[in-house]
Amino acid sequence: MTIDLEQIKDILSRVEKPARYTGGEYGEVKCQSSPFYFCMAFPDLYEVGMSNLGIKIVAESFLRRGYAADYCFAPYTDFGDAIKKAGVPLYSLALKKPLKEFDMIGFSLQFELCYTNLLYMLDLAGIPLRRADRAGGKYPVIAIGGPCTVNPEPLADFVDIVFIGDGESADADVAALYLECGGATDEFYRRAAQLDGVYVPALMEVRYGEDGHICAFESQFRPRRAIISDLDGAVFPAAQPVPNCESVFDRSIIEVMRGCYRGCRFCQAGFIYRPVRQRKVDTLTKQACSLIASTGYDEVSLNSLSTGDYPHLRELIRSLKATLPEGVTLALPSLRVDSFDSDFAQDARKISLTFAPEAGSQRLRDVINKDVTEDEIISAAESAFDIGYSAVKLYFMLGLPTETDEDLRAIRRIVDLIKSAYGRKKRAKALRVSVSVSTFIPKPFTPFQWEKQCGEEEVEAKQKVLRDCLYIKGVTLSWSDYFTSRLEGVFARGDRKLGAVLQRAYELGCRFDGWTKDLNKQAWAQAFDDCGIDPAIYTRERGASEILPWEFIDVGITKNFFERERQNAYAGIVTGSCKAGCAGCGLQKICPAAKGDR
Amino acid sequence: MIAFKYTKTDGAEYLSHLDLLRHIYRTLRRACIPVNYSGGFHKHPRIFLNNPLGTGIKSAAEYAAVESGFDGDFMEEFNKFSPSGVKCLKWAHTDKNPNYANCIVKCTYSAQGINKFDARELLEKESIRICDLRGREVDIRPRIYAVEWQGDKLLFTLGCGENNLRPDLFCDYLCSLYGGNARGILKTASIMSGDEFV
Repeated sequence: MTIDLEQIKDILSRVEKPARYTGGEYGEVKCQSSPFYFCMAFPDLYEVGMSNLGIKIVAESFLRRGYAADYCFAPYTDFGDAIKKAGVPLYSLALKKPLKEFDMIGFSLQFELCYTNLLYMLDLAGIPLRRADRAGGKYPVIAIGGPCTVNPEPLADFVDIVFIGDGESADADVAALYLECGGATDEFYRRAAQLDGVYVPALMEVRYGEDGHICAFESQFRPRRAIISDLDGAVFPAAQPVPNCESVFDRSIIEVMRGCYRGCRFCQAGFIYRPVRQRKVDTLTKQACSLIASTGYDEVSLNSLSTGDYPHLRELIRSLKATLPEGVTLALPSLRVDSFDSDFAQDARKISLTFAPEAGSQRLRDVINKDVTEDEIISAAESAFDIGYSAVKLYFMLGLPTETDEDLRAIRRIVDLIKSAYGRKKRAKALRVSVSVSTFIPKPFTPFQWEKQCGEEEVEAKQKVLRDCLYIKGVTLSWSDYFTSRLEGVFARGDRKLGAVLQRAYELGCRFDGWTKDLNKQAWAQAFDDCGIDPAIYTRERGASEILPWEFIDVGITKNFFERERQNAYAGIVTGSCKAGCAGCGLQKICPAAKGDR
Repeated sequence: MIAFKYTKTDGAEYLSHLDLLRHIYRTLRRACIPVNYSGGFHKHPRIFLNNPLGTGIKSAAEYAAVESGFDGDFMEEFNKFSPSGVKCLKWAHTDKNPNYANCIVKCTYSAQGINKFDARELLEKESIRICDLRGREVDIRPRIYAVEWQGDKLLFTLGCGENNLRPDLFCDYLCSLYGGNARGILKTASIMSGDEFV
């Protein structure tokens, strides 16, 4: 069965941006019949999902093996409600095939606030939400992947397979196993659970002690994060579908490196993507040229967690400029201040530049291992001003471990120094500074995974301190909503018990929780109430001997390392970049940097 | 300058005007057809489209002009690289910008599913007042130029540009009056005040 657009034309002509739901993108997947149908699902809007490189890599890994791979994004509520009312099931974009008819649906989870959207999409597809209600093999295998799956427990009751780590091979390996076992049989799940990067929640029991904390995980399998050793030779889609309507990042993306050398203690990505693996200049140049030719984009973005740390960046930029057609611009979205080089920034339109010092005082920057000094920040800003920038955006965090009001006030000092650096020369425009302060959320598999997340009053008091000291002309301050940060924090460090809350919240109408205008705070509060769960038990400080809900997963980094790093944080000792020396996180055996390749 | 006529069908009818512009720009880039740029701070490609078509309405008569020095087979190259619903039908070199947004004054559409009625009787009305999308009452009679039946298909010509009447709005009016459910609204021709160029 396929969905005919004519059949839903009345709905399409009523909703906002109908091009999100029509498919027909230039470069969309075209496939005839296939032994295995995989649907790459993204629990956020089309324009967000279409900008994501990860899902395109995963889809490509299926296509390369001769399987069908199609996309589906969360429809906005206008379209979602309309198709539900009309009895039209959620369908995939290119093949227009109802999701229910696929062999496997893989959801990419980029952040915790998209969890209700996973339930929303299953519901629209006519698939029972709970795994227990899907028994009998009538439904597709429901899988999840992406950074959130290092702690998949809040979703354990809803999904069949969890992919942890790099998605280049594990995902399609499971498809092969599915075909070999003749479907989603018990044998299939038992064998899948033995693969690197695969966790099968049904095959694990969680035991709780009398104090309500976890006392044991019962399973014969220990899920291990999948790590590809050769990024240079890894699957990469040479052509990608060009979105119908403008997406959030409307440009070609190449992945320069995976992983980050820095190990900032609050940053989950800095740990769960270790070790750093690089692509060669040649490979990247070829990939960029092929993407530009096949998509028609006029911008290439050089992505990684810290592109300034790519050792061959200068060479890469030279090679790209020499090979790409004239007029194609380069974007370097994640440069650290200490790697900012006016040569790199020359290309882009000189409008605004973003720096992320993360903390105001040097003391606190040492605590979080953000190895950047005030002088580096100021000199980077100054060289940016000299080549024509007149606006700076500064990212900070609030509620970090050991933080005092003094640390917060130090943000003012940085702003003042930047202003005076700008004023040192005569410049054409007035300087605009925007300071954006988000609330710190402790995440699993970071040295701060045990830390307490600040409560409402504390956060508001801190925000007030900032408002008071940053009330200056030419400076705009923005901060994140407390409720949103807490919800994210609860699910980030949550356990299986939260499945009930999630389902209740969805029943009460919660979806698109990451979108400020759609977040339904009352419904969330009621969901926690109805399930008898106090969110504060998830944001509290965790005991050093407590078993953490995500500890059964082996991400490759030892607990001992995280404990050591936590002690260093309290002592204000900077560990520094992996480039400067190996800190022994546990991945030494497979880490190129540890072997001297930096 | 290259002027061309193209389609907006097969799902492309749901593209917004701005997105369509982006698609044409990217198609030209993929096809290696050079486009001139404006000279300002925010450079933009010199591509000119006719007036926006309501989303959801198919067309076999859209027009665009591109400032380009390309001298190959435009249609062949364009169609090789364009999305499935956006296909060039004919093209020509022109000396000056045809300014399709201005010179297209009327458009002919076809639609099915509207219950049969006497077209002459409709045209004899002196005024037809309906509520537009913003809820204002307007007289659409002066914007209706022709209505005729061709089998079970209704062909009608409506004003475009300053004198615009949306074909879906017109069909809604007809259905409310005579019954039926309009489907397959398609723009079949664009009528210009001067030369067609293409």
